[in-house]
Amino acid sequence: MARHIHVLKVHHLTLSFPTRKDPNPKPVLDDVDFGIRDGEILGLIGNSGSGKTMTSLAIAGLLPEGAAITGGSIKFRGQDLLTMKPRDRRKMLGSEIGMIFQEPSTALDPLMKIGKNLDEVLVAHGVTDPNERREKILSTMKTVGFDDPATIYERYPHQLSGGQRQRILIAGAALLAPKLLICDEPTSSLDTVTTVQILDLLKSLCRKLQMTILFISHDLSAVRNFCDRVMVMKDGKIIDKDTTSDILTNPKNAYTAELLTNAKLDTRMLGIERAHVDYSSSPVLTAKGIEAGYSDRIFGKGSDNKVLKGVDLEIYPHEILGLIGSSGCGKTTLIRSLLGLLPHTGSASVVGRRIGAVFQDPVSCLNPAHTVKWHLNEALRVAEKKLSREERMSKISAALSEAGLNDEFLGRKPHQLSGGQRQRVAIAMCLITNPGIIIADEPFSSLDASSSAEILKLLTDINRERGTSFLLVTHNIHIIRQIAPRVVVMDDGKICESGLTTEVLSSPKASATVRLLDAETKLHGA
Amino acid sequence: MNKNVDTARAKRFYTVGIILLAVVVVAFLISLFWTPYDPYATDAASKLLPPSSAHPFGTDNFGRDVLSRVMSAAKFTVFISVSGVAIALFLGTLTGLPAGYFGGFADRSIMLVNNSIMCFPGILLALVAVAVFGASMYNVVWALGLVFAPTFARVYRAGTIEVKEYDYITHARVMGVNPVRIMLLHILPNLVPQLLPATVIGLANMTLFESGMSYLGLGVQPPDASFGKMLAESQAYIRVAPWLVIFPSMMLVFYILGLYFISEGMRVSLTKGGGN
Repeated sequence: MARHIHVLKVHHLTLSFPTRKDPNPKPVLDDVDFGIRDGEILGLIGNSGSGKTMTSLAIAGLLPEGAAITGGSIKFRGQDLLTMKPRDRRKMLGSEIGMIFQEPSTALDPLMKIGKNLDEVLVAHGVTDPNERREKILSTMKTVGFDDPATIYERYPHQLSGGQRQRILIAGAALLAPKLLICDEPTSSLDTVTTVQILDLLKSLCRKLQMTILFISHDLSAVRNFCDRVMVMKDGKIIDKDTTSDILTNPKNAYTAELLTNAKLDTRMLGIERAHVDYSSSPVLTAKGIEAGYSDRIFGKGSDNKVLKGVDLEIYPHEILGLIGSSGCGKTTLIRSLLGLLPHTGSASVVGRRIGAVFQDPVSCLNPAHTVKWHLNEALRVAEKKLSREERMSKISAALSEAGLNDEFLGRKPHQLSGGQRQRVAIAMCLITNPGIIIADEPFSSLDASSSAEILKLLTDINRERGTSFLLVTHNIHIIRQIAPRVVVMDDGKICESGLTTEVLSSPKASATVRLLDAETKLHGA
Repeated sequence: MNKNVDTARAKRFYTVGIILLAVVVVAFLISLFWTPYDPYATDAASKLLPPSSAHPFGTDNFGRDVLSRVMSAAKFTVFISVSGVAIALFLGTLTGLPAGYFGGFADRSIMLVNNSIMCFPGILLALVAVAVFGASMYNVVWALGLVFAPTFARVYRAGTIEVKEYDYITHARVMGVNPVRIMLLHILPNLVPQLLPATVIGLANMTLFESGMSYLGLGVQPPDASFGKMLAESQAYIRVAPWLVIFPSMMLVFYILGLYFISEGMRVSLTKGGGN
């Protein structure tokens, strides 16, 4: 086949979700037009709902039910994909166009061993000899960085970490050596250290297998050392297209510039100052010698696998305490122990008011069966039982407006809210109980740059105005550097380093801190 | 596009199901106030009459009007299936929700009892219960409720295990909401999509069980009528008076088929089409 300059060419693609009521709705993709050059890594950046995932699904031919392409064409190496027979197109998927998704935990069949999961790919593409398949799988696993592929081959998906699972998915795509690999937010659910490793891996694979990569992300900073060119999408349109260095240093479009500022989460732009904390006062939360773990035995008393090995923690009034550490270091277990959700030994005491919690996933943080008002009422009911109807309503409105929403949202159900709005409702639910401390577990990581900037601003405002302390758990060292006066670094179930943020981050002592900072520098630049 | 096809399919299922079910439900509703003849009044002069304008469904071996008896049978059938399912749902909530929510020992012990019940053929257990405690309609209702409860408990348990892992439940626990309230107000509403089809299928299966038991003489007692009872009584006359068999079985088929169609419609619309 003749070599094309553009391995994939999308011509004026328009896509919408027509319904019987509204046969001509606002298009989800509006006149999208771009080409991917052979061998390049092209970044596609945009906030949630901008249409970047729809673009990738249209290319792969995996559009959801109800989507209709109303105009344009997609040409892959000169062949029009949209006029192809579904059968031919399916054959092309995997062998010519590969795809990896955001959530590595759900993309593998939990009942199949890793080897079997990968085997299915080859079986589907007609490799009949089992020995040949096994050989190929083992060698590909080696390519994606498993030193001992034979053991991993026999494992089940739940026995692997998030980063390892993502590697397996990449191996699954690389098995068939597709010309084009579409990566839809492949690193969004990974920590900084793993993100850097995965991006390095993709880049080396791209060279080795002569692949072209379409890299989709909401994080503008992730494309820094990775993509050759970047496109910015907004409301279904591509509004900016340039080389990566030009986009990052010299954005020509106002929206791109705004995205860049948001991605930096620059506290000066947001008008946030660092909190002033009186460390001589008595702490609001004191935890001593917390140990927790998971027991394999049914009736056993002792924990066989200790995840936390004696953690001491103090949080002072008005403080925002940052907690960082790579995945699997025990951050989540610590939080769950502090919240009393896990059995643990050691003592954790809160002075005065209650603990509030804000979780990572804005999708599952609200009950889909109930309205916003119900949620707030339920939270209020727990905190204060004896209130008249009017008092309740005024408290609910107050909490909602403090979280930056108005009474219009009271009657809405979660599916009518955006990710950022849901996170705001979750915060309002915390506020209404008037907590002394709020534990926020990765509140930004599932949100796009603009929403996280707003939520960050909201959290710091609450800290200043109410004096609520925060325990902020995040992968994003940049945020910690800006707003947390004190930071705690966890590694392998222990606190390996703690102290003033400026000191810890400028002269790290523990090796875990050094690793985190290295990855941070590589990903986001100095 | 496919979504529209799915909703159209669901609509067809609903329409057929509701029409079939309506025949029985309308008969049931009217029978509460009025039947053409007294369903229990015998008339030796008009035994085994074929359908005519005076007796549209004919008469039986005691000269009772079959139309009136079918209408009153609808009453018993609907009553038994609805109250039986209500009992099963209640028991299922009582056992399945805590089993799924608390897990561990509570789960094991509750499900041990449930699974033990499920080991035996349901109809056998119900027959034994009724044989021991006496054949009456109320015994049939609670026996069937008990036999069906484990099925519902499983639906509740599976759903609860899934839902309790979501952050909103964790959040409720962090806020200190009491577990009973979490189960009933936070989890239960999210199980409705799974429970509705199960309930409708439960109604249909319960009706089949009840008919079987009545047919064997252990369900509704004479002179009351249920569809199964009427079929049992008419067996001897199937050659001379086929209308005695045809009309009750038609009603039975309408009721059960109607329920099945509705549950199929629910399955299509709740699982595939129902994005929000």
